Amino acid sequence: MNGSQPLLATRDLTGGYGEIDILTGIEMTVAAREIVTIAGTNGSGKSTLAKAVMGFLPRTAGTIRFDGIDLLAQPAEKRLALGIAYVPQVANIFPSLSVEENLLVIENVADRRARLEAMYAHFPALKPLRRRRAGSLSGGERQQVAFARTLMPEPKLMVLDEPTAALSPAIVSKILALIRTLPEAGVAVLLVEQRAREALAISDRGYILDQGRIVLADTAAALLSDTRMAELYLGHGLTESDKAPS
Amino acid sequence: MDFALFANLAFNGLIEGAVIALPAVALTLVFGVMGFPNASTGDVMTAGAYAAQTGQIAMAGSIVAGVIVGSVASALLALVFYLCVFRFFQGRPSMYALVASIGLAFATRSTLTFFLGYDQRVFPIPLTRAFSFGPLRIVPSDLYILATSVGAIVLVFLLLYVTPLGRRMRAVADNPDLARSCGISSHRVLSAMWLIAGAVTGLGGILFGIKTVITPLMGWEALLPAFAAMILGGIGNPAGAIAGALTIGIAQELSTPFVGFTYKIGVGFAIMVLALVLRPSGLFNLSARVR
Repeated sequence: MNGSQPLLATRDLTGGYGEIDILTGIEMTVAAREIVTIAGTNGSGKSTLAKAVMGFLPRTAGTIRFDGIDLLAQPAEKRLALGIAYVPQVANIFPSLSVEENLLVIENVADRRARLEAMYAHFPALKPLRRRRAGSLSGGERQQVAFARTLMPEPKLMVLDEPTAALSPAIVSKILALIRTLPEAGVAVLLVEQRAREALAISDRGYILDQGRIVLADTAAALLSDTRMAELYLGHGLTESDKAPS
Repeated sequence: MDFALFANLAFNGLIEGAVIALPAVALTLVFGVMGFPNASTGDVMTAGAYAAQTGQIAMAGSIVAGVIVGSVASALLALVFYLCVFRFFQGRPSMYALVASIGLAFATRSTLTFFLGYDQRVFPIPLTRAFSFGPLRIVPSDLYILATSVGAIVLVFLLLYVTPLGRRMRAVADNPDLARSCGISSHRVLSAMWLIAGAVTGLGGILFGIKTVITPLMGWEALLPAFAAMILGGIGNPAGAIAGALTIGIAQELSTPFVGFTYKIGVGFAIMVLALVLRPSGLFNLSARVR
């Protein structure tokens, strides 16, 4: 993590959909050009955390700051202009739009044609498909469309919600390799993943969530060698003394 | 069988279908983006027709000026309905918005009749002599109606499928949250969509009024065939709605020698029911949905 002020920082973030809190006291940071993994078992609240950052969680308390700006005071559609792009876990493309329309529909792109060509150069498989309805694409192709679309406006931060879910192992490797290159392009990544080991292997740091709370927070290398993570994933849970201060 | 009779009925059905196509496109646009059947569409048609007739008289009898006044008035009325009512039902069960739209339909009709009464009105346009084209006897005003409807539909399609606004509208229809994360203001896009739907609806009412007469119930009566056209074409499919309207318009007219004028609307609905039994997603839905 860079020594300067973090790009994204949550403080005592709590929230949920109804009366019950799904997230409790989340303290998390992402620095510029950093890959940070949020891992946890099913129902741990990791996708909810991504939604909270993106402004799609109906009830939130605490603070989320991005580049010094209070995100909770901003409507969801303002986040892209601030530099935050989002690839949700499901429904991450516009199925009735063509591939090219999916790329052109995103706002805050200065030179659309130049960026479009840059995306086709980066994702060459998409160029021959540009007139195809995105809804007719395979899972791997859809994920490429989603990545290309969110890279069009050259964001500072990409929030990726389980980008490898329901993909074949070969495609998973390609997606993770692509994510690893994003910091070189000046993009920080908040990577929500259930495949904790694969995600941490390409990350700088990570947070492990359990029942809506951060239970482990460390560098990716330290987490990968931490036996408590295996315990958590095997469903034994952690004792209070095991938990890292969040 | 009298070929000339059926040819003329089919042509008349084509004109009726072209008129019904306009509210059907508006209905399917609103359904595709907002997810509810907007029952106020018929009465926005009526309001557009009354506004156009009033505008025409105020503008020294210019029908073009009347059409512009009526379309703008109905576009604004639809926008007001969205801003004051429908936007509060987004993300809630579609039944709420449907019931609200029925309420707005009654409110619009009551307001019109309170101020304008129940008397029939007509657009003061000069009568023209029909001319023959093969077996067809064609009234020039029918050709103007057909050309206006086709022109409006072409404009709507260009707007939907060629412009960035249309791209945004289809994106919001596909996935509103994903559209927001792409920086698209759904409020602005929906406002534009309601203006377009309202203008198209009003134009349908104006053309219907030119073809027949203006009455407070004209839109309500046109709403049912428009709904049938939308359903027949596959909900959320503008091209399907047009094809559905033309099918219903022509079938209704061709049935009049057998069932009479009064019962022709039943034929349109019988076709709709039969088509849906055979193809539940709509007769013209080639894929799941073409927005």
